[in-house]
Amino acid sequence: MAEFTLAIASGKGGTGKTLISTNLSVLTSEEEGLTVLVDCDAEAPNDHLFFPQGPRKAHPVEVPIAEVEVSRCSACGLCRDACAFGAIRMLGKARVFGELCHPCGVCVAVCPTGAIREVPRRVGEVEILRPAGREQLVLVTGRLDIGQVKTPNVIQAARSAAGQFPARTVILDSPPGVACAAVASLRGADALLLVTEPTAFGLHDLELSLQLGRDLGVPMAVLVNRDVPGDTSVETLCRKWEVPIVARIPFSRKVAETYARGGLLVEESPDFRELLRPIPGRMRGLKAGKVVRA
Amino acid sequence: MKSVAIASGKGGTGKTTLTAVLAWLASRELEVTLADADVEASNLPLALQVHSQTCTAFQGGGKARISEADCSGCGLCQEVCRFAAILSPHPGVFRVDSLSCEGCGHCVRVCPAGAIERTPTCIGEACLGQCRTGPIAFGQLGPGQDLSGRLVTEVRRLGLEAAQERGSQLLLIDGPPGTGCPLIAALASTDMVLAVTEPTLSGVHDLDRLVQVAERFGIPVRVVLNKADLAPEGARRLREICQRQDLPIWAEIPYDPAFAGTLQAMSADMQLQPQTDSVAWSAAAQVWKALARELDLPAKLATR
Repeated sequence: MAEFTLAIASGKGGTGKTLISTNLSVLTSEEEGLTVLVDCDAEAPNDHLFFPQGPRKAHPVEVPIAEVEVSRCSACGLCRDACAFGAIRMLGKARVFGELCHPCGVCVAVCPTGAIREVPRRVGEVEILRPAGREQLVLVTGRLDIGQVKTPNVIQAARSAAGQFPARTVILDSPPGVACAAVASLRGADALLLVTEPTAFGLHDLELSLQLGRDLGVPMAVLVNRDVPGDTSVETLCRKWEVPIVARIPFSRKVAETYARGGLLVEESPDFRELLRPIPGRMRGLKAGKVVRA
Repeated sequence: MKSVAIASGKGGTGKTTLTAVLAWLASRELEVTLADADVEASNLPLALQVHSQTCTAFQGGGKARISEADCSGCGLCQEVCRFAAILSPHPGVFRVDSLSCEGCGHCVRVCPAGAIERTPTCIGEACLGQCRTGPIAFGQLGPGQDLSGRLVTEVRRLGLEAAQERGSQLLLIDGPPGTGCPLIAALASTDMVLAVTEPTLSGVHDLDRLVQVAERFGIPVRVVLNKADLAPEGARRLREICQRQDLPIWAEIPYDPAFAGTLQAMSADMQLQPQTDSVAWSAAAQVWKALARELDLPAKLATR
């Protein structure tokens, strides 16, 4: 178990989750010790692009999906009636639509002829990378296979693979949105850092994330990315929710350019490093219940 | 009627901005209906001054609830639950964690005391409204709910219905980020995917994943390269990849924070005139022309 698990998330996509997650991980790995960065954005995992070198090993993520043995199926339709997800249809005999199967095991339990069993099906993979030249950093990537839909299962598999390392810090680069994929990534984290931007879209989606974080009972703080001097819109919203702003990253074309080519800003810009440096301490303080402010 | 999904894989590449601008351009020439298929972070309605909207609660599959008075404390429910949704705060006491419960009903079936029932839950709402470009369907999933794909399907259905009623020639769908369930629900039976990408390593990587998903469903992909001048090397790679994969790039839009700011202006005043001197605007107009031509839309100004 890690000493401290920090989730980085946002409702809106493209606010800078990956930028903050990758750079913060490098920082904590250098200053605090073993850090595991988990790329939980399994539908569009990009953290690995910032660590192109190093040995990597992948293992499949499998989910048990119901399968009907046609010769034993009596076509009674009980499984179809029992399936809450509409995953079984009667086409002569029962047929399972694997994408819709959740797998809950109800059909297996109700089938009077024992014709249904659950068979592992690959939905994605977990890749473990030891970035070259970074002794204290591990990257665990969850990657959904193309055409598959079981994102939460892949995220859970990535998080449990991360659990095998005696990390001081685990950083969860979470998927956008507020649905099951986000929940799979945020649940059980010690603290949640919400990345936002001072636009109408950013604010709208931040509020949804604040609601989710509160429902999950995770202590939260906000990072304002692409900050505009004089803007108070994020501050007003954060005051309403009584959530602190722990850092502000000013709008900068240089940041965008460095990110675009896969560069790490903590290594290229001392100013950027200084902006991020206080964040881990502040987030740990949040877990301990201290009042923190940027 | 033709339907086009604007998608990207990566978030924040400019899907909603482009959708809003295309809607504005299209609405001057034909009947267009919009659907915002990003039900986890629905932003298109924010950009387009929606009025007179009708929203209805969208029911999910339901959640289990244990009646404490009837529970015998046997724990069978916890044994069969695959989602770790039955918590036991004290020995012999069982409770449902509704954020984990997926509503499969397994516990309801096995409970010998009949103490568990599945109650329908509202997982969000689906809405149909009017904005200055015409009808717009959208929805919002409640934070923490699953089944976002089903709500996307409902929003698409509302959009299609409104488009048919109105006699729209075009349904524009603002897609969700990612390549999983919500995206696949948004793409279902569309005529074309307009992929908005950016020349970042992430943008290139996620475009590739999006194209693979679209191919799987046999939907043709056209590309718009946004923030094109941000990283010359990345842009060059994107052009190469698109050429190799036979993906036409319809326009390159320069990195212009003011273009994204267009939306703020649009939400304030839809009478806004296209800024013909802006490179970003003319690039968007170029996309609209190509779209009208390729889908054979009855757009006079565009094809002229």
